[in-house]
Amino acid sequence: MEDATRSFGKGSLPPGPVPDGLIRVYSMRFCPYAHRTRLVLRAKGIRHEVVNINLRNKPEWYYTKHPFGQIPVLENSKCQLIYESVIACEYLDDAYPGRKLYPYDPYERARQKMLLELFYKVPHLTKECLVALRCGRECADLKLALRQEFCNLEEERQESVSAHQRSFLSPLAQETQIKLKAYLRNSAGPEILGYQNTIFFGGDCISMIDYLFWPWFERLDVYGIADCLNHTPALRLWTAAMKQDPTVCALLIDKNIFLGFLNLYFQNNPDAFDYGLAC
Amino acid sequence: MSGSARSLAKGSAPPGPVPEGLIRVYSMRFCPYAQRTLLVLKAKGIRHEIININLKSKPEWFFKKNPFGLVPVLENSQGQLIYESAITCEYLDDVYPGKKLLPDDPYEKARQKIVFELFSKVPSLVTSLLRKQNEEDCSGQKEELRKEISELEEVLTNKKTTFFGGNSLSMIDYLIWPWFERMEILELNDCVDHTPKLKLWMAAMRKDPAVSALLMEPKALRGFLNL
Repeated sequence: MEDATRSFGKGSLPPGPVPDGLIRVYSMRFCPYAHRTRLVLRAKGIRHEVVNINLRNKPEWYYTKHPFGQIPVLENSKCQLIYESVIACEYLDDAYPGRKLYPYDPYERARQKMLLELFYKVPHLTKECLVALRCGRECADLKLALRQEFCNLEEERQESVSAHQRSFLSPLAQETQIKLKAYLRNSAGPEILGYQNTIFFGGDCISMIDYLFWPWFERLDVYGIADCLNHTPALRLWTAAMKQDPTVCALLIDKNIFLGFLNLYFQNNPDAFDYGLAC
Repeated sequence: MSGSARSLAKGSAPPGPVPEGLIRVYSMRFCPYAQRTLLVLKAKGIRHEIININLKSKPEWFFKKNPFGLVPVLENSQGQLIYESAITCEYLDDVYPGKKLLPDDPYEKARQKIVFELFSKVPSLVTSLLRKQNEEDCSGQKEELRKEISELEEVLTNKKTTFFGGNSLSMIDYLIWPWFERMEILELNDCVDHTPKLKLWMAAMRKDPAVSALLMEPKALRGFLNL
């Protein structure tokens, strides 16, 4: 993996300017926000270098890249800095040719951004669950709140399948379809709703919104809260489809290495961030 | 005026479909978020109709337009709905011709979004100060607001331009303007005491045709807030 490099900590020398033809991302191997940016870099085949930052022991020079020392940050060969993960991802989509991850259609683009609003509580809740579990605390309330957020996303999945199909049908056919669905839902359970032409959040193909969501879903298992998806079959279908995406696969973090990182991280060990790297 | 029609409330009949050639915005005359959308509609000369919503007694049908029940919401003649003020503004800029408010250059566009993030704490601070007027001590929040505003001043200082996106007015200026207009009306001017560039920016904004067309009547705003 491109990001399998030792992190820069306090006292380290700053890396030099970014060479022409490359873009640099300041990152951390286990950070979900940076993961978004690395997914987009990979999906678009953008030549890049990764500089990992030791987040518990930040280099002084890093504050010249980001005022609060956060990641991810993009730096290009013109010394331009772009941060906030969502802004960085959009910048990459705009600035680089090839496959567009955001739709061309302005309404579809707006829809993806509206979907992101549906997601905004998820990062905080998953982190709180992780911290609670790691500190031996109860987190039933947090898990309930997280399940509720997943239900909202699930509802969106189910509605968008319907809307997509409805748009091709005559009014009479639409009405019939709605009645049929209601019948199926009541008799056969939610699984049957899987005639998913729109298996991904943006349509038939994976797109930006899927990559923006993915990092937190990948972490549910290693955080110990995978059961939060128990009542959301459409979301489970989506995660299964995501795991087949070549970009997602290429960046999948090994579970044991992640657990090793988490163990050290929660012991406040600054070496956590380089766990699993070969010398 | 930001739509002088009476607002629609609970029990009202839903409006019909949007006629071809028009776009509809569900709004409220004193809402700063909806003002963003109205500014962009005005600045780009987009033909539109305004339906004001009674936010204290929302019509049931309005939740079909936006499940969150908030304004602004755009509805076009294809029945497509767009909500979240910043998203509506970007949508309008993408769809409609004429003056582009967001830069074409990907980096400059990203910079505008970064400044937008910098601004993000201001709305809740201004709102809570509006509510506290004449009540409890609000010096803590005023301090916080001054701090956030200083960061914006720094942007103008570093950029050495009049507006946040360069030497002409662009999207980011419209997105943040509504709260500065309210700070002036509600005499929170001391929060911009120490920020000369922002003061100049506010004066320049007032000269913009879209901004001045939508300026609120101070008495009307104060009356609304008291209700």
